[in-house]
Amino acid sequence: MDLLAQILINGILLGGLYAVMALGLALVWGVLNIVNLAHGAFIMLGAYVSWYLYTYAGVDPFLGLPITAMVMFVIGYAVQRGLLNLIVRAPMFNTLLITFGLEVVLTYLAQLAFSADFRTINPSYAGNSTQWGPIVLPVARLLAFGVAIALTVAMWLFLLHTRLGRAIRATAQNLVAARLYGVEPRHLYAVTFGIGIALAGTAGGLYGTVSQINPYIGAALTAKSFAISIIGGLDNPLGVIVGGLFLGILESLTSLYVGSTFADVASFGVLVLVLIVRPNGLLGKAA
Amino acid sequence: MNAVRIAVVLAALAILAAVPWFGSDVLIQFGINALLLAVLAQGWNIIGGYTGYPSFGNSVFYGLGSYGVAIAMVQWQWPFGAGLVFGVLLAAVFAVLLGIPVLRLKGHYFAIATLALAQVMAAIVSNVKLAGRNIGLVLPPLNNDRLFYELSLGLLVLATLTIFWLTRSRFGFGLIAIRENEEGAAVMGVNTTLYKTLAFALSGIFSALAGGIHAYWVTFIDPESAFDISLNVKMIIMAVFGGPGTVLGPVVGAFSLSAISEFLSSEITSLAGLFFGVVVVAAVVLMPRGLADMLRRIRRVGWRYFAENIRTHRL
Amino acid sequence: MLKISGLTALLFAAAAVTMPSNGAFAKDIVLGASVQLTGPVANTGRYYRDAYQFAIDKINASGGIKVGNESHKLALKLYDNQSDVNLSVRQYTQLVSQDKVDFLLGPFASNFALADSAVSEKYRIPMVQGGGASDQIFARKFKFIFGTLAPASNYFGSTIDMLKGLSPAPKSVALLYADDAFDVSVADGTRPKLKQAGLALAMDERYSTNATDFNSLLSQIRSKNIDVVLVAGHETEILNFVRQAKSLAVAPKMYSFTVGVPSEDFRKALGKDADYAFGMTAWLPSAKLKDRWFGDAGQFAVAYKAKFGYDPDYHAASGVADVEALAQAVENAGSIDPAKVRDALAKVKFDSLYGTIAFNDNGQIDLPQTVIQVQGDKLTAIYGANGKIAEPKYPMPAWNAR
Repeated sequence: MDLLAQILINGILLGGLYAVMALGLALVWGVLNIVNLAHGAFIMLGAYVSWYLYTYAGVDPFLGLPITAMVMFVIGYAVQRGLLNLIVRAPMFNTLLITFGLEVVLTYLAQLAFSADFRTINPSYAGNSTQWGPIVLPVARLLAFGVAIALTVAMWLFLLHTRLGRAIRATAQNLVAARLYGVEPRHLYAVTFGIGIALAGTAGGLYGTVSQINPYIGAALTAKSFAISIIGGLDNPLGVIVGGLFLGILESLTSLYVGSTFADVASFGVLVLVLIVRPNGLLGKAA
Repeated sequence: MNAVRIAVVLAALAILAAVPWFGSDVLIQFGINALLLAVLAQGWNIIGGYTGYPSFGNSVFYGLGSYGVAIAMVQWQWPFGAGLVFGVLLAAVFAVLLGIPVLRLKGHYFAIATLALAQVMAAIVSNVKLAGRNIGLVLPPLNNDRLFYELSLGLLVLATLTIFWLTRSRFGFGLIAIRENEEGAAVMGVNTTLYKTLAFALSGIFSALAGGIHAYWVTFIDPESAFDISLNVKMIIMAVFGGPGTVLGPVVGAFSLSAISEFLSSEITSLAGLFFGVVVVAAVVLMPRGLADMLRRIRRVGWRYFAENIRTHRL
Repeated sequence: MLKISGLTALLFAAAAVTMPSNGAFAKDIVLGASVQLTGPVANTGRYYRDAYQFAIDKINASGGIKVGNESHKLALKLYDNQSDVNLSVRQYTQLVSQDKVDFLLGPFASNFALADSAVSEKYRIPMVQGGGASDQIFARKFKFIFGTLAPASNYFGSTIDMLKGLSPAPKSVALLYADDAFDVSVADGTRPKLKQAGLALAMDERYSTNATDFNSLLSQIRSKNIDVVLVAGHETEILNFVRQAKSLAVAPKMYSFTVGVPSEDFRKALGKDADYAFGMTAWLPSAKLKDRWFGDAGQFAVAYKAKFGYDPDYHAASGVADVEALAQAVENAGSIDPAKVRDALAKVKFDSLYGTIAFNDNGQIDLPQTVIQVQGDKLTAIYGANGKIAEPKYPMPAWNAR
């Protein structure tokens, strides 16, 4: 019984990390209708930014997240304004292709810049754990979970209750009307994408404290983020929490009862099922 | 098709077929790879170019074909031909069973779904003992590059002829109708579900045959190489670069991109992958309708062609 | 492509005509290899590039190798396969058919060696590889592939022997292994040895290569109170495993890993958390291993570190062994004919900085593993083929009691 409880807690904490990873992707996809296949590569870049901050400036990875976020925001803004804005009105399919190409470019540039050696962000408290009855809670994952929930709720509030958030949603829904109201769509799209990438970068910083960083982690993280976004549903920003938790718990239970090599089968199997049966996700409107 | 064009195509075919007798070993190897990629691009062309359903998961059929041949030859000692048939069967069954639900999805949801299918199959196969789990299978070696080359060339000819037939058949017109306006097509009496599924299956069958030939040629497959995700983008970018929805476009795209990539691989190795990504990005921005379209219109419009493309699509 | 070959041929012809013939040194003997210099396993791939070049430079500096009356220098032709097996196969084909190298050196990793050995067999050119230990590579009865890594199935052999002498006696064992060729081979070979030693296998779990999350497996280890954890996997996985073990407060009496522990990067990455970890190596830079070109393994290690800036581990030594094996075989055969050199390789037996190099009937070397342990900031040899060497730090204390 204790084992099951521990496994469930593992799954929930993992789910929090997953939610943060997918948040940026879900935002950009749900609001701008841009499907970013390079999302994982941006997570990887954010992880490197955090690593450099930690290793060369001694900045704590959690406290340094805002800096990482700002750096990644600038990068994201530039990418959208300079590149992706050029194909926004092309068929969606072009976006998939271009972001895939972007992923390849970013991965190779990272390999050239940072080498293929793996890096770790290992602050002194990273290996600590706290005990809650018979359950052991790793401190780093607990913090990441907290950050995840906070960011997701903040995103939800931002989109629904702030002027900028409403402007973003309006632009996405009706370009012409937004223009009539004086909104500059090119800037707004870039800001939104920038926020999405800032979130990805933040996820990267968190990821670096619980796992290894190397230039090639992008692809797997993109795939995971996709699964989470779709399973949770893109209509509601809180969907990523549902998607993340669902996947985290599913993978942990599969690992315990079936075998750890089946975790991917479970995740992607559920993804396919959701796409077929309920494409708007668990929190979305029924199709 | 006038006589001159037919003559040119036949001449090109004859030259291609003669390569194994005049070319170096490395050229033949490159040729086999390029030919198989061209087959994949043509296969994608059927479902993506003509039917308008951009599959991002045709690698799943490639993998099924590879494993079909590998399992048949290694575990059951069947001959290669029987293995190919088995691979084709696997692909066809998969296309029908999973195609029907997945083809109900539109646009990029379909693309994502096919990508997810590819991931699932790779994950499933890496757990199947018969398939050698994640270690894969080692096939009986056959050192006859000429045979593989001619087989690949033959497969490409078959695929291209199929597409040619498509452009003149009711089935093909039905697919194009689905691409242009699916609801309209349904109203006009096209059985969209049947047509889409057939197109998906046909596309899958060619991918499976390519996979089967490749597996026997390389003599070694594992889930990662058989269900290689990057193949999806390669075949799409080659089809799109060359001209989707045309008969020869994907072939041109496949050959030209393969040649450039191979040249870079052998000269400036680490930058080859980077180049590939840059080409994809540049092509999507500057010439999203492919090489054929560019060549046709650049004569009339000059360099403004690229600026126009950007202006049409940008925010 | 044909155009480029033509130009290159022209340049070669011009060079050949204008180059003064050097009486003392005849044409170079070229060794070709396709190694992972970029891509996910480039980390270890570069050990081979460095080792191959280092060995070749050293052999050339002491006069090259003698074939009959002539001395020949060695040359290296290296390609980067970007950690892509298919590209690696094509590059080996290019090395043989276009670059016309004389002999082949291997890539890193068993799955690469498995695929690439098909090329050496097809063209009947000997390949000596020091990167693949899986038994599968040698089970195909190929004649032209030789391997200097000790067999995967025996990796935990000395470790299990050592376990028998530990006190308090370990009772339960967990065997975790990645699902690739090498680690499955290790697991298959370890199970019967555990049975023979009378140790109960309480957990026998296969996990996906490149897995990042070991929380589930670690939680099960803790819940079952397992004494000994044996992990067969890759460096990144093992790094994750140790860090997650710490964060979940999982501390079995001992744990041993098939890779990582011998390499400096790994120990640096874990810092103090690497303490108590067991590993194994078929090679240690001991002065007792005498070498014709490098003096002994100790001198080799010092010179290697001076040149490349990092300590060599068994991968590097294995790479050097590959070059030396070929050099020795060519001299023994007195010819550079591939078939003769192949036969000479099959019979070769000599001492080197890597130990005694000799291949058994299927082409694989047989070397025993030495158990090593991280003790503080030192790497200590604990248990070898002849029994105990030093005292192990056992059992491992709880993480908060270190």
